[in-house]
Amino acid sequence: MSATTTEPLSYLDNTGDDPTVRARLVVGDNDFHAVTNKVCGIVESPQPRLWWVAFAISSSLTLVLLAMIAYLVTTGIGVWGLMIPVGWGYAIVNFVFWVGIGHAGTLISAILFLLRQRWRTSINRFAEGMTIFAVVCAGVFPGIHVGRVWFAYWLAPIPNQMSMWPNFRSPLLWDVFAVGTYATVSLLFWYMGMIPDLAALRDRAKTKIRYYAYGLLALGWRSSNRHWHRFEFAYLLLAALATPLVLSVHSVVSFDFAVSIMPGWHTTIFPPYFVAGAIFSGFAMVVTLVIPVRRIYGLQEIITKRHLENMAKIMLATGTMVGFAYSTEFFIAWYSGNTYEAFTFMNRAFGPYAWAYWTMVTCNVLVPQVFWMKRFRTNTILLWIASVLINVGMWFERFVIVVSSLSRDYLPTSWGYYRPSIVDILTFVGSFGLFFTLFLLFVRFLPIVGMAEVKGVMPQAHLDRPGHRGHGDYHGDITGTEVLS
Amino acid sequence: MSKTAEHAGLYGYLASFDLVDEFLVAATRVRDAGYTHWDAHSPFVIHGLDAAMGVKKTVLPYIVFVAGLTGAAVGILLQWWTNAVDYPFLISGKPLFSLPANIPIAFETTILFAAISALVGMLVLNRLPQLYHPLFANRSFKRATDDRFFISIEAVDPLFDPTTTRELLESISGRPIEEIEDQP
Amino acid sequence: MSSMNHHNGMAYWRSLDELEQTAEFREAVGREFPNDDWDRLPPATRRQFLKVMGASLALAGLTACRWPKEEIVPFAHRPEGRTPGVPQRFATSMEIDGVALGMLVTSFDGRPIKAEGNPLHPDSLGALSAVAQAEILQLYDPDRSRRLLLREGGQQYVKDWNEFESLAGGLFSGAGAAVLAGAFSSPTLGALRERFLTAHPEARWYEYEPISRDNEREGTRLVFGSMVRIHPHLGGAEVVACFDADPLFDHPAALRLVREFAAARNPESGTGGRLYVGESGFSLTGVRADHRVAVASSRVPALLAAVANSLVAEHGLELPAAAAGFAGATDHSATDDERHFVDLLAADLMTHRSRSVVLVGPRQAPAVHALAAVLNHALGATGSTITYTADPSPDRPSHLEAISDLARRIQDDEIETLLILGGNPAYDAPADLDFADLLAGVPVSIHLSLYDDETSKLCTWHLPASHSLESWGDGAAWDGTLSLRQPLIEPLYGGRSAIEVLAIAADDGPKSGYELVRESLSGRSGIPISGDFWRRALRDGVVGQSAWETVAPPTDPAGLASAVDGLRELLEVGRPTTEHPELVLVPDAKVFDGRFANNGWLQELPDAITKITWDNALLISPATARDIGVSDSEVASVEARGATLDLPVCVVPGMARNCAAVALGYGRAAAGQVGNGVGVDTYRFRTTAAPGILSGVAIRGTGRSYELATTQDHFAIDTIGFSERNLRVADLVRETSLDAYLENPEIIHEQEHHPPLISLWKDHEYEGEQWGMAIDLNACIGCNACIVACQAENNIPVVGRQQVLNQREMQWIRLDRYFKTAPGVTPDEVDDAEIVFQPMTCVQCENAPCEQVCPVAATQHTTDGLNAMVYNRCIGTRYCSNNCPYKVRRFNFFNYHKDLADTTKMQFNPDVTVRSRGVMEKCTFCVQRIEAVRIAARNDNRPIADGEIMPACAQTCPAEAITFGNLNDRSSDVSRSREEHRSYAALAELNIRPRTHYLARVNNPVDGMPSSVEGAGDHGKESG
Repeated sequence: MSATTTEPLSYLDNTGDDPTVRARLVVGDNDFHAVTNKVCGIVESPQPRLWWVAFAISSSLTLVLLAMIAYLVTTGIGVWGLMIPVGWGYAIVNFVFWVGIGHAGTLISAILFLLRQRWRTSINRFAEGMTIFAVVCAGVFPGIHVGRVWFAYWLAPIPNQMSMWPNFRSPLLWDVFAVGTYATVSLLFWYMGMIPDLAALRDRAKTKIRYYAYGLLALGWRSSNRHWHRFEFAYLLLAALATPLVLSVHSVVSFDFAVSIMPGWHTTIFPPYFVAGAIFSGFAMVVTLVIPVRRIYGLQEIITKRHLENMAKIMLATGTMVGFAYSTEFFIAWYSGNTYEAFTFMNRAFGPYAWAYWTMVTCNVLVPQVFWMKRFRTNTILLWIASVLINVGMWFERFVIVVSSLSRDYLPTSWGYYRPSIVDILTFVGSFGLFFTLFLLFVRFLPIVGMAEVKGVMPQAHLDRPGHRGHGDYHGDITGTEVLS
Repeated sequence: MSKTAEHAGLYGYLASFDLVDEFLVAATRVRDAGYTHWDAHSPFVIHGLDAAMGVKKTVLPYIVFVAGLTGAAVGILLQWWTNAVDYPFLISGKPLFSLPANIPIAFETTILFAAISALVGMLVLNRLPQLYHPLFANRSFKRATDDRFFISIEAVDPLFDPTTTRELLESISGRPIEEIEDQP
Repeated sequence: MSSMNHHNGMAYWRSLDELEQTAEFREAVGREFPNDDWDRLPPATRRQFLKVMGASLALAGLTACRWPKEEIVPFAHRPEGRTPGVPQRFATSMEIDGVALGMLVTSFDGRPIKAEGNPLHPDSLGALSAVAQAEILQLYDPDRSRRLLLREGGQQYVKDWNEFESLAGGLFSGAGAAVLAGAFSSPTLGALRERFLTAHPEARWYEYEPISRDNEREGTRLVFGSMVRIHPHLGGAEVVACFDADPLFDHPAALRLVREFAAARNPESGTGGRLYVGESGFSLTGVRADHRVAVASSRVPALLAAVANSLVAEHGLELPAAAAGFAGATDHSATDDERHFVDLLAADLMTHRSRSVVLVGPRQAPAVHALAAVLNHALGATGSTITYTADPSPDRPSHLEAISDLARRIQDDEIETLLILGGNPAYDAPADLDFADLLAGVPVSIHLSLYDDETSKLCTWHLPASHSLESWGDGAAWDGTLSLRQPLIEPLYGGRSAIEVLAIAADDGPKSGYELVRESLSGRSGIPISGDFWRRALRDGVVGQSAWETVAPPTDPAGLASAVDGLRELLEVGRPTTEHPELVLVPDAKVFDGRFANNGWLQELPDAITKITWDNALLISPATARDIGVSDSEVASVEARGATLDLPVCVVPGMARNCAAVALGYGRAAAGQVGNGVGVDTYRFRTTAAPGILSGVAIRGTGRSYELATTQDHFAIDTIGFSERNLRVADLVRETSLDAYLENPEIIHEQEHHPPLISLWKDHEYEGEQWGMAIDLNACIGCNACIVACQAENNIPVVGRQQVLNQREMQWIRLDRYFKTAPGVTPDEVDDAEIVFQPMTCVQCENAPCEQVCPVAATQHTTDGLNAMVYNRCIGTRYCSNNCPYKVRRFNFFNYHKDLADTTKMQFNPDVTVRSRGVMEKCTFCVQRIEAVRIAARNDNRPIADGEIMPACAQTCPAEAITFGNLNDRSSDVSRSREEHRSYAALAELNIRPRTHYLARVNNPVDGMPSSVEGAGDHGKESG
């Protein structure tokens, strides 16, 4: 049974702006089975050569990361470029960078879910996966950046030989809890959403290993509607819980800086500013990843142009918010009359680190403005380039905040200039290796599109009878009574 | 629930459907027939099906709520006991215990406890994981995760009668009704 | 024997805790001075000898000061009056350039671990310079030579003392024998010299030091006919005029002078001398000047002459007839700054006759010193602000004459045997003598030295010298007070002291330093050394009332005449030009003449002005740099007196136009692992003709750049940073003029505007003892003594040049140096600037920002208000350092103690944790000292007295700028100084409540307005 309301202008193009037409979220004539085939096919059929190349590169980069960490732990933090006054450098910059990226997934799954943004269904699994891997990368850095890694467990509230407890007044400890919780909840969310799709893989399994492996992960899911009922509720609750969480995580990360007394750090605007930035970078990373993947695995019909365009719009919005935050900071620095604050920002823009500052402004504020033009939102190449630039810009934002503020604080006699060491740089590059390794394994073994959810928003999933509002991006549910009438 | 001898070895009947509409209608029919031990299987959530089946609203929210409160309490008590009671130390001339500084962690523990309880609660209430189920033995049932909709009525249902139940199902489903063995 | 001696030295050290084994111990004692042949000593002496030296082995000198009571005892039975683990302090002394400086050395279970000043010593008064404190590290230097070496025909043989003794007898008889010693004041050595010269009548005796005050000596001879030693007294001086002179730092009695100077400039009592300085580059005295003018060293005579001229012509000062010629020479090329300076100074000198003093620096020619002496005489300074004593060795030729004469004789093959007692002439003799080459030609040359250094490697014999903390000896303070030296420890490497070696050379048989010192002392004082006398002398470290008589010498017309001619010649010298700038060679503030080059503490000590570590650099002013066309951190090739050296440029304001300065003492080739190849050897510029001031040199930029390891930003930075720095200084380091201060004591608080400092929570009540500190910026002269004291007290590692470049230096005290220039000027417009110092270390904030951010509570507050650092709790997040507004926390980026030699580890203070890798550290007000006193007080069940607790920095500060005590005690010094109007807290507006307060600096310029700041701008505009 095919959809019958006004067909989109052309195949694969569902980016129409006519509000009276509900754009379709799955284009082409795909029925449920086609969707299952497309998504499960990725996991079941052998991977393209490109996958192997990418995996070879990223896994070797992961080895570089491990080697750098080993060197660091055996030799000392001194192998990095850190010094007094700049006690935090690449490690913390990378941490904030990765945590930020880790925001898109939960945002898409939770907030867009609550907002009934059904177009989320094609990309949420994918974004959640990316979230988990980004948080894994983020988690690496706070762990290794402490001077005595072997005592890092003192951060946890567990009794130790000194029978002392951690200091809960410290924002770093808030961080430990926030990121820990975020990682756990994201994982739960991701896994729970995947259960029905794992069951699908189980039911299509050709080999015993697959059957048992996916069977085990699917926990014996049998699509029972009594289960679906509680599943939906749990999903709703998780979404409701994850929404404040995702907003809190980067707020808490921003407390690391905002609670200090360093000019350039001690800023009340940080929580919203960080969250906006996180969403910004998160979507940029999703776009960066999803564009090649949908091309390589032929998912253009499921992850459609409209999805990309929507994300571009969100980037435009958040990017503009970030730009607004930058200008607000400057205004307040001047308006507050605090000379230290004022100098810190003048120094950012015109001091030794001006190059980093202007890189940040260009990539984060100017680049997203191109998304005002539909051409840039829908042309995947341009979109991809822009999103990569945005990722660069967001990394530099963290660099500017962390390093340039510290490098020139209160006493001019302790001013300094931070230069990363080669170990710093290789560790950062290595973290990308880890990220992509995990991501490629995800693509290889798990359903990267939430089939059950996609099917739920397909026209076929809805009653097709007069008096109904038709297919597509369908709002409002049918009540049982309605069925009976 | 013990089973009567006449249909020992029989788990129940399985009817399958291709369209959401038929499926919803069938569900209401079975519901109205008064069966209690039956279920509907679909590859994705079908809104309205709960009503059509007459599924009662789950208690999960209450579980999660209680878990959340527990998390909050744990968060506050942990910080108060460790920093103000068990091993107090003077930090930046600040009070040993003050709520504002303890809000973030209390918040995180609240979310953590609630979220875990949501997943675990869902699984427990669903009696999952249950790695074996008689339905899995049925080949065509595998499409329940793909593109087909099923209704299963269990033999243990007091109203279950091999003939009338089969007739009911045949009347609502265009397809042959399958018997599901109950492997010992 | 040598091997045994060697083994003995080592075994002793490994067996400190094994000493219970009586047998071994006795044996060890038996071989106590291993190379002595016991049977040649008379029994009585020998027993005493055994007792004392045995004791000095077992108890490391403790017993030496009570020798009559001592007996050798195994550690199994604790000796009388000694508690293991309780440190004890012994008075001793060290000698630099022939002046003895008294020290109190703390010894812990036989290990000397810290040197402090001896309060009873006239030149120390309890303070000690950075260099002298670093002696401790030199004692334990693993690079010190450990054996006698004989070098023949390219071969090198290990010998022992017996072999040398047996051979030494014949060496010095007959012509051709000579001894080259350093300057010394030791009566014992003097007596031995006589004995040596009587034993070998034909032998010659030379004394050479690269750095000396010979010109001053010679200058006095010109004026008074005989050489006298000058003793300035800054206490009562209303006007102090320094011409290229740095009495507060490079004077042998500097510690005393600083104490007097600081005490005299107390704004609370309304007094305050006025300091005028005319010099080529910033000296520490120049930093404190109320009126300073930068003139090339070669023009300093003209400046002083102009003052004399003005005094006579305009103020009618009477000069002695013969000296009348000093005046009348007018310098027409003088700049406005110079004229202004001269007018003010002349007027001031006149109004404060007899309460003023004129001082001239050692690098100035004798004639200039003569003029100063004449002026002091005419101004009636003699007897009040300046006194004279007879020169201890009036007939000694100047060091340059001595070394030249020796060189000539070596050239003429007149020298057969040359015994060099200490020193390092192959490295530091004037370049034109080619002393190294000559030395290699001497048939038998013997060098007694701590290190197998440049000189030793050219000599046939190298003898390991014992360190001054290992040997007996004596010496005279600048004022002649007899200071004794006692060993704190057995010679680690079996070395011997100069007197012991000279005794051998004098055929006096191998005697112990102990005997020699006692002999000469009894011989000198005439009185037989009673136990009491000796005991008191050793305990005090000085012999009371032994200072020389002051003399009031008459002027000598003949000398004055030649002095006048000499000065006239100097006035002919033209100003240095951009094409032919002037180069001034200055002794280094850290490694001095190079002898401390292998001392990590000193190499890493930031230079007070430039903050450079591990290097010497060519200092030139910004304007000169622009004119010559070199930039900061660029390598310049400098050509002078035939030598061409590449030196890194450090642009620093306050240098005279077209005048450059560079430190001596670097570029050592055989100093040791630490000192080798650090910096550039500038002795190659130094000739007998021009030892200090080289005019007409050539400086060219090479375009290459070289990063200098400074612990602070350079003067020249980007414009934004530069202007901001200028803005902040005024608030961080507050100063005012005396007149303004007396008129309105609140003046230094008027610039504070910040909202009321209130907390969100109820403030913590601090009960009981609450420690606090006050640092008087008006007293601090930036001499760095506190930094080394802290380093020694708190086991602070040396991290090396590379880590300093990475800004990872570890010193807990940072002596912040700010250039104050007129607001709004850019680096290019500045040529001169005022310098202010601010010692900065952890200020122990009550609302410490570092504490609240530490996730593991590794830094938290103690009940007595200290911001404690719990090393074993720290996991090294470095968050505390990030959040420290003063950036006074230091982080162990590596394990800096990994490669330390065992001997170096012996210096560690056992009361202070040695921090591991990955741990944050910082100043804790010397909490170990606080606890020690607290325990003592509790034991006697008494309260802690005010001033009883002395942090290492406060203890050693010559200016007594640091006050420490209990803030809850209203009557304590620190409480009172915090109530003074000058008291303020840096960054108080952050409401972090620092426990350290600063007392504003108060200048005393003539016009009552801070001179330098406005001045700087003007200079800049004129010169720029």
